Amino acid sequence: MNLDMEIKGLNFYYAGKHMVLHNINLEIYKNTVTALIGPSGCGKTTLLRCFNRMHDLYPGNKYEGEIIFQGRNILTKETDLIDLRSRIGMVFQKPTPFPMSIFDNVAYGLRLRGIRKKSILSEKVEHALKQSAIWEEVKDKLHESAYALSGGQQQRLVIARALAVEPEALLFDEPTSALDPISTAKIEELIEGLKENVTIIIVTHNLQQAARISEWTGFLMLGELVEFDRTEKIFTVPKEKLTEDYVTGRFG
Amino acid sequence: MQRERIRKLESVIALTVSTFAAALGIFWLVFILGSVIVHGAHALSPGFFVHDPTPAGIPGGGMRNAFVGQFLITLFATIIGVPVGILGGTFLAEYARGKRISHYVSMLADIMVTVPTIVVGTFIYAIMVKPMGHFSGWAGSVALAVIMIPVVLRTTENMLTLVPWTLREAAFALGAPYYKVIMQVVYRGAITGIFTGVLLSIARVAGETAPLLFTSFNNSFFSGNMNGPMASLTVTIFQYAMGPYDDWHDQAWAAALVITLAIMIVTIVGRMVIKLRYGKK
Repeated sequence: MNLDMEIKGLNFYYAGKHMVLHNINLEIYKNTVTALIGPSGCGKTTLLRCFNRMHDLYPGNKYEGEIIFQGRNILTKETDLIDLRSRIGMVFQKPTPFPMSIFDNVAYGLRLRGIRKKSILSEKVEHALKQSAIWEEVKDKLHESAYALSGGQQQRLVIARALAVEPEALLFDEPTSALDPISTAKIEELIEGLKENVTIIIVTHNLQQAARISEWTGFLMLGELVEFDRTEKIFTVPKEKLTEDYVTGRFG
Repeated sequence: MQRERIRKLESVIALTVSTFAAALGIFWLVFILGSVIVHGAHALSPGFFVHDPTPAGIPGGGMRNAFVGQFLITLFATIIGVPVGILGGTFLAEYARGKRISHYVSMLADIMVTVPTIVVGTFIYAIMVKPMGHFSGWAGSVALAVIMIPVVLRTTENMLTLVPWTLREAAFALGAPYYKVIMQVVYRGAITGIFTGVLLSIARVAGETAPLLFTSFNNSFFSGNMNGPMASLTVTIFQYAMGPYDDWHDQAWAAALVITLAIMIVTIVGRMVIKLRYGKK
């Protein structure tokens, strides 16, 4: 199995606060789904946002350690964040369509990369929308506002927008927590199909979801990675007592 | 039972009082609009728009000079004030978000909004009219722009703050640099509000008299020269309404009607355009 990302001794501090992630060590394999689980405030979203350096938007945040992505440490000052973020996409908890048409939403990242030609744009937009299983629903209204779509559709649209730039990895931050069960099922199905092309890391509150869609699972608590293993092991024969208590619902 | 009765009574009282307050407000609005229309309409004629004023005491003439002057002064005030206001508001809401300077500038802008406009007029008189040695359309535009800036700035800041932060993060996550996030995503989300703020600020300064009295002053002759004294509808209304001639009073009413309608049309059309373009949101 190919290593895609390797996190070595990662510490993270929010501005003016104590350390919130302690010595995280973790390997992410290419074309797999890795789930990060843990109780609220355990640092799973904070960890996820290290992978595309989202924390850099706010001054004073500090990383220590290394995140090796495809052979290079992305935590260095030299890292081109614009390039990094085009290679590692992100989908948020609440759908975040931009106030523009469906087409322009999906084309946004492409245009950022300087693609202007209509034919290429439409081809890539169509491909991305098909990949995220929403093409049939929107093909006749590509030029209508993205706000006219339902929450579940918006989330799939946003996934299409992230996919359009052909990223190597996608980060999902509780992508279904604001959606109904049917939309959730669609997104889960979609994520499983996507791993052929991209490496996926997903933060989720929903343990069944982690069990259903991921191959690897990391359990975090109080900013530490308690256990990281194959998903079936985490859910059936965890090594740590804490993990067992959490996945069996004894706390959380 | 008792409690329920009291609650119902309270509800009736609240409803009555608020209905009365609304009716009182609307009554004066309709009354003012009505009397402006009644008095203004009969003095309106095509000549009112295309002729310049006749010498005092001689009947006839129009206010072409004031229309053109008002238009030019307001136009240049908008050209100066709106970009400064929007960019300033953008700085406060985006680049200086959460910083102390943002807080101070916002507070200052709030104070500026409440400064009597006549103070702005005298200020511009001191820094522009006096050194230049004469009244000018430019001074009028700058005075109006100074009144516009804090309004546009605060509206822009508020509207940008209303755009959810996650939307910006989503754009950053696609690799967009900050200026593109602002230009392409944040402004689009806030355009309706900013546009409304701009329209309201134009409507506000278009009705100002005091700052123009000290800056562009007035001119009985037609002038397109922004570098000299310039007529405006509001100052002309002021002068004519105070004047001794019935003919002037009629013309002042007519001018009041025109400027009221113009401001109303600007506002209504602006809102309609927004609805048509962004109504589906």
